[in-house]
Amino acid sequence: MRLLLVEDHVPLADELLVGLTRQGYAVDWLADGRDALQQGASEPYDLIILDLGLPGKSGLEVLREWRAGGLVTPVLVLTARSSWAERIEGLKTGADDYLAKPFHPEELQLRIQALLRRAHGLANQPQLQVAGWLLDERRQCVSRNGVEVELTAAEFALLRYFMLHPQQLLSKSQLAEHLYDGETERDSNVLEVHVNRLRGKLGREVIETRRGQGYRFTGTPA
Amino acid sequence: MRSIQRRLSLGLLTVLLVVGLLLAQTSLWLFDLGLRSYLETGLRNQAETLLSSLARGPEGVQLDQQRLAPSYQRPLSGSYFRIEAGTQLWRSRSLWDRELLGGAAPGLQAELGDGPQGQLLLVYRAYYRRFGQPLSITVAKDYSPVLASFRRLQYLGLALGLGALVLIFLLQRLTIRRALRPLEQARQQLLQLQQGQRGQLDTQVPQELEPLVGQINHLLTHTAESLTRSRHALGNLGHALKTPLAVLLSLAAREELNAHPELRATLREQLAQIEQRLSRELARARLAGEALPGAQFVCAEELPGLCATLEMIHPRGLQLSWQAPKDLRLPWEREDLLELLGNLLDNACKWAHSQVRLTIARQAAGFVLMVDDDGPGIALASRAAVLERGSRLDEQVAGHGLGLGVVRDMVQVWGGRLKLLDSPLGGLRVSIELSRAVGMPAGLTPASAP
Repeated sequence: MRLLLVEDHVPLADELLVGLTRQGYAVDWLADGRDALQQGASEPYDLIILDLGLPGKSGLEVLREWRAGGLVTPVLVLTARSSWAERIEGLKTGADDYLAKPFHPEELQLRIQALLRRAHGLANQPQLQVAGWLLDERRQCVSRNGVEVELTAAEFALLRYFMLHPQQLLSKSQLAEHLYDGETERDSNVLEVHVNRLRGKLGREVIETRRGQGYRFTGTPA
Repeated sequence: MRSIQRRLSLGLLTVLLVVGLLLAQTSLWLFDLGLRSYLETGLRNQAETLLSSLARGPEGVQLDQQRLAPSYQRPLSGSYFRIEAGTQLWRSRSLWDRELLGGAAPGLQAELGDGPQGQLLLVYRAYYRRFGQPLSITVAKDYSPVLASFRRLQYLGLALGLGALVLIFLLQRLTIRRALRPLEQARQQLLQLQQGQRGQLDTQVPQELEPLVGQINHLLTHTAESLTRSRHALGNLGHALKTPLAVLLSLAAREELNAHPELRATLREQLAQIEQRLSRELARARLAGEALPGAQFVCAEELPGLCATLEMIHPRGLQLSWQAPKDLRLPWEREDLLELLGNLLDNACKWAHSQVRLTIARQAAGFVLMVDDDGPGIALASRAAVLERGSRLDEQVAGHGLGLGVVRDMVQVWGGRLKLLDSPLGGLRVSIELSRAVGMPAGLTPASAP
């Protein structure tokens, strides 16, 4: 999952970057509204965390222009301006969720997870569950019929992306775009290695290879 | 203060009455005076005629009865005389058995003399000297017909005067009402302002009202602007304080602190206290309260957005509904009410199993807002304590929201009543009664419109 974090308060951004990276998200960070407007519309982000009090261009304006430009990426608004009038305005502008500062880091995690599930048509699920596989996003492990499988950070991030796009054909470049932030070098061999390790842990049939096209998560256990 | 119209009417009526009576009485008096001096000439002529009717006869001075006017002969005719010449005395036959009395001063007597049959006589007395002896001649004329016609004139005048007064009064009322129409219009507009149907007064008013209307409009703009400014400043302050708080909360969650759970707990507790206090005070400071008379909350416009926001914040398939009379406008500031309802509904959404319902209804004295949920509710015994302390009702569900604390503050500012009841849905019902008349000055109530 690739996220864009737009926050001008550097200490908070640092904290959030550390936390989000630890949760297996690839995060790009911007502090200026004008940069965010441009990059948010051009890069294929899965979710955008947007602070409203930004230099250059206010968060609401950025959001309005994104939506006017047809951007459908879910946007989680992060703001200290938490009056209901402002929340409603944020929603009308096109925000998908609203988190008032200060917040507990776990609260942000839960909201990001919920928003991603919702964005992929898996609403009303407290946990990500596909084809019998239950992903514990907090502990970064997956289980099936009570049998738990430990995952590395990279495997977890990859599996989460697969599970959010079940039965969909995902090309290697698409996977790379969504699993690595803008600064990491993308190596398709590394991706292949991770896919194979996942197969090793969950079973060969779980991820199907379409030669020359990409991968498909079927969820069929071995 | 009494109405200007009544004052003007009363003043004008008094002036008209005093001046009218004074004028009528004076003109009557002047007329009387003129008439008397005219009649005096006639009486003098009669006296002189009588004088010339005296002739020296064989038995001394004699009155030539032949030359007397016939009215002197007819009894009680209204014309009388009396001639004294030394010991001799002549009286007109018309006097019959009455004596003609009167003052001794020459000329027309100031007082009217008594005549026969209740007649009031205008008496003229003259002194002459004839045939070597002094003569006094008194002639009199009945004045009562004139007095009677005066009285008739007075009655007529009074009736006419009263009629004129009524006419003038009505016309004046009409004029005043017409002249005061802009005032009445301004009054109506103030009423609309108070009810939130308009934000400014019309500036198309007569010159006299211009400064007043201008000043009120200026004040309204100024209040709205300073409210926006102060809210913006509060927003900035909140931003400046809450962002570092968010950093601290994040730091408190770091793994390094896993080894020191008591340190983490204390940190979190203190941070939570700061946050709670900060949010509550900021929310309280944001309140417009009664500052903006033109404020209003259009239910049909605002509630769908609020519900959508709540559904977004609580994405667990809650059934969120609202009920309000069609076209209902609440006379309170929009952001204030959104804050109040937002907090109430947010609280209900946290506790509800599946259903939250907002009902807004008109009441005799104002409005009632009710938020129902089908959650666990609050035990009867602990409700008072919850209200009294304004304690957090939402401690078990993480996230934003101050629960009832902010709501309680707002209801207090508006002079309303907050009650916790059993909901027909099974959970808690928070009922808030708000009085419509808060802040509305007397005389601006719709009922007093003429």
